[in-house]
Amino acid sequence: MNLLSASSRSSFPPRRALAAACAGVAAMACSSLAFADSGIGVDLWRGNKLDPTAGTRSETPDENGTTWLKPGQNRSPTGNLYLGPFTPPQPEQYGDWRGYGTLEVGVLMVPTGDQRNALWNRYADWKEGPILGLLDYTLERASDGTYANFRGSRISDDDEYYQATFGRAGAFKVQAFVRDMPNIVSGNAKPVWNGVGSNRLTLPSGLTPGGSTPAQIAAASAAAPERTLSVTREKQGLSYSMFLTPEWTAYANVTDEQRRGARPYGGSFFFPGLGGSMETVKPIDDSTINVNGGFRYAGAAWRMDFSYSGSFYRDANTRYTFESPFVMASPVPGALSAPVYQGQMSTEPDNDYHNLQATLTRKLPSLNGEVSLSAAAGRMQQDDTLIAPIDCRGVFGVGFGDLQLGPQNPLLGDCSQWNTPAALSRRSAKMRIDTSMVDARMVLNPTSQWTLRGNVKYDRQDYRTGDYLLYNPLTGQYGYIAENGSQPSIIPGEGFPVGRFTEVGNMRIRNIPLDIQTVDANLGADWKFDDKNTLGVTFGYNRYEPTHRERSEINDSSVKLTWINRSLDALTLRVNYTYLKQSGDRYDYDPYEEFVSASLPGYTPPAGGTPVITTSAMRKYDMSSFDQNKLDVMATLALRDDMTVSASARLDRKSYDARIGRQDYDTGSATLQWEWQPAATTNLSAFLGYDRSRLKMSNVNDALENGAGTDPSLGGPTYPYDAQWWLRDKQRNYYAGALFDHRIGRVRVDAGWNYTYSRGTDSYRYAGPDALAYPTTVPPGPGSGAFSPMVYRVNSFNLGVTIPIVERVSLRVFDYYERGRVDDWHYLGFDQSRYIGGMLYTDGGPQSYSNNVVGMLVNVKL
Amino acid sequence: MNRPTSLLLGALLLAGGCASAHAASYIDQRRVDAVQGDVAAGAAKATVCVACHGPNGNAIVPAFPRLAGQRAEYLAGELHKFKRGTRPESPMTALAMPLTDEDIRNLAVYFAAQTHTPSTLPPPDSQTLARGEALYRQGDPARGAPPCQGCHGADATGPEAGAEHYRAWPSLRGQNGDYLVQRLQNYRDGKLKDSSNDFVMHGVAQTLDEPSMRALASYLSSLPPASR
Repeated sequence: MNLLSASSRSSFPPRRALAAACAGVAAMACSSLAFADSGIGVDLWRGNKLDPTAGTRSETPDENGTTWLKPGQNRSPTGNLYLGPFTPPQPEQYGDWRGYGTLEVGVLMVPTGDQRNALWNRYADWKEGPILGLLDYTLERASDGTYANFRGSRISDDDEYYQATFGRAGAFKVQAFVRDMPNIVSGNAKPVWNGVGSNRLTLPSGLTPGGSTPAQIAAASAAAPERTLSVTREKQGLSYSMFLTPEWTAYANVTDEQRRGARPYGGSFFFPGLGGSMETVKPIDDSTINVNGGFRYAGAAWRMDFSYSGSFYRDANTRYTFESPFVMASPVPGALSAPVYQGQMSTEPDNDYHNLQATLTRKLPSLNGEVSLSAAAGRMQQDDTLIAPIDCRGVFGVGFGDLQLGPQNPLLGDCSQWNTPAALSRRSAKMRIDTSMVDARMVLNPTSQWTLRGNVKYDRQDYRTGDYLLYNPLTGQYGYIAENGSQPSIIPGEGFPVGRFTEVGNMRIRNIPLDIQTVDANLGADWKFDDKNTLGVTFGYNRYEPTHRERSEINDSSVKLTWINRSLDALTLRVNYTYLKQSGDRYDYDPYEEFVSASLPGYTPPAGGTPVITTSAMRKYDMSSFDQNKLDVMATLALRDDMTVSASARLDRKSYDARIGRQDYDTGSATLQWEWQPAATTNLSAFLGYDRSRLKMSNVNDALENGAGTDPSLGGPTYPYDAQWWLRDKQRNYYAGALFDHRIGRVRVDAGWNYTYSRGTDSYRYAGPDALAYPTTVPPGPGSGAFSPMVYRVNSFNLGVTIPIVERVSLRVFDYYERGRVDDWHYLGFDQSRYIGGMLYTDGGPQSYSNNVVGMLVNVKL
Repeated sequence: MNRPTSLLLGALLLAGGCASAHAASYIDQRRVDAVQGDVAAGAAKATVCVACHGPNGNAIVPAFPRLAGQRAEYLAGELHKFKRGTRPESPMTALAMPLTDEDIRNLAVYFAAQTHTPSTLPPPDSQTLARGEALYRQGDPARGAPPCQGCHGADATGPEAGAEHYRAWPSLRGQNGDYLVQRLQNYRDGKLKDSSNDFVMHGVAQTLDEPSMRALASYLSSLPPASR
């Protein structure tokens, strides 16, 4: 967690709000294309794109079925078919030990296609050549239950994993692994800088920092070679668990993950035409060590768990710097812009996290239930050395007549007074958040018909940092320099630190502690009133008490009704309905006065009063009151013993009490799935899916060009109705797929098809030209429009045949074809130039692609 | 997909289609049809059986199984296994070899229709009986032995009829003790491995030691015939 960013405050200049909001929503529409690098769930399952099943794909289904006791496949409690087991291994005996496993080696052939495409290479690195598909070998000693296992796969240097496990049943288990996972974040990047991947980006010859013409920038961008930007994760882990007694277990895990590479990132020198925006390249060079350990007790009446978990993030870079080619040019007559060109970006701060938790659970035999109590205390802290406010040389800001420092140029700053840590009120972050949690739960089954459930949870986050004051002891000024000094070098006084006796009231001067306390309580009951029907009701109450937010108290009240019906032997029907109402105390549209320059002792409001930061009609969506209705219907029908059809539908409607802000957010989905397992060695399935979302929001621009309005009311002079605009965002996703797996004699055939279609559209309307960033470009009166749809389609097919050659040896031949089609208006024209409208881009955006891979793998049962 | 790849995969599919089906190497008793037969014809065929299995299938010699009142599907299954020659060496192998499917069905329904008479052997001691009953009802969790009543029913006459996979599970009530011990030993030693039910019992028997087998057999043989 980034504590520093958690305390930052979002404040789009109103003029840019519509464009920014549209771009943001549009970006969300294509979230699957975003350059995320989350690596979710990487510790839970070690596999790769070639074989996500981590070896089970090469196993042969056991034609003898699941159990000798009854025919057919088992079903889950909700009626879905379980897959059948695999054919048992044929182990070799080595004295007391027996061993068995699989070796799969072969070659990949990629005859044609777009092999450098970033979407194709997401978390995979398929290259033509030999691969180790799988080596999986197990040794077991039945006399004392000792076992050892090794499993590994190697597709390339950056796409591989190896895991070793050793243990004895009922005694101990130790496991170690290493894993490399690639992620190409851009396959068509054209950075103009030297030093990509390092923490210093410098402009090449032909470009002058702070002094390049548009033609020179365009030429440099065009001449830059297209290259790949990627981030590789290398992770190692060790875990150990052992039985101290039959009831007590001790366990410990440690993992270390390093990320290396580079990715496109921001870099702003104010508005295009006045300065310029650019997409820089951020170096990625960090590591995260996670540790976890504790003791568990599992007895007849009691269960206990006492654990510690810790996480330690370290970034090799505190910041990276980049040179801007743009010329600073103030539009204010007579104003001379300082030639700033050196930019910097801080990287994520080093972070330490500790958490202690204890859980006690007691069975209640007389009531056929149990109660449990958990308590936890944690601490997150960061104490990085802070970087200087700016990295410029000479002066920043604007001068009138000349760029000489002195009283004649009060809006001109001396870089030497700001480019050193001495310009900070303290040298390190000293950030700390303490967390505490108590959770009490109870489940009782007093009769076979009744289940009673309840829990109360108390959660708290305390910011222990104290104030961080944006104060420069060298100059006696408060606040920060915006956009690497470019904003105050173009617009006189904007983003320029203020003195104590100032009339500027909205300069941020202090961090915002976001302490929060949460109480969460639920009480519910399930009533099985006959063999076929179960009814349930759950009442929920959540109370959030944030500090320094628009509300100091938010209450959620909900009721959830459930019905499970099995009136028909083969049908399981589940229906849930939830109504939730969020409300709270008085909404304060501006709770930040103590954190801005208006709180300085010498602050003198301007003649017209202190400008407001937003309209009083604004309701932030997490603080807003809303009503929510959710309905879920799920049905599972066993058409035959070996066939299942399941369907689901979900509706979720949220209606917000907001004239400005998010007003409605509706989502819905439907799925239909069919599965048939006529024999243990035959499996067919197909699925269809659809989901949609619709978001409606509204905002209003301030009608005064200098941002000096003092009336927060909607419809007033600062925020007139004519400046209001509305946005509707619609997302539609369609999914379809089919799988086929069948053995014909000793030959196994598997095939699959997957299809994804995502379409996002954004339409808008506005009350008048003042709602727009560029009012003069449209005629007077209301208007409307829409952005081009964003479309993402992926089709993939696979077909494989496994042929036995001799006993224990088989050959698998497969073909995998994947085609992606992307329509994203954000990147229109990028094939012609990356320098567009005064903005210099690095990444060329997601590209359509098609690739075909043929593989031949020899599988040996060891 | 390019043309060479398509041709290759097509050829492989054809090769798969031509491969011979893998014949089952055991009798699957998880789906068993109800046995229909001619009792009178079975009686006529059973004249040779009484030499060992006693009048009407109530064997007097403890080493031979009682057939009277046994489930017809179980009896038919056992005769098929003898006929297949997969049982341990026994006179039954030669006797079953010439039987037709019809003969087997007739014999099965004949013995199933006979009345099971009480054993004339003296009852075992009470300690052995208690141990045997405990094994039958609760199993032996420490050794991994499941309770027998889970499959053979609370009264040891077999599970409630209905599901097709229950039909071939035998009644054990009043069965001869020495025969039961021999049978469990054969299961344990892997000598009976020709059907899905054999595989179940192979695993179960491996959890029983000799005293447990004898206690269990003594308890079951002491049970009087169920009223019909």
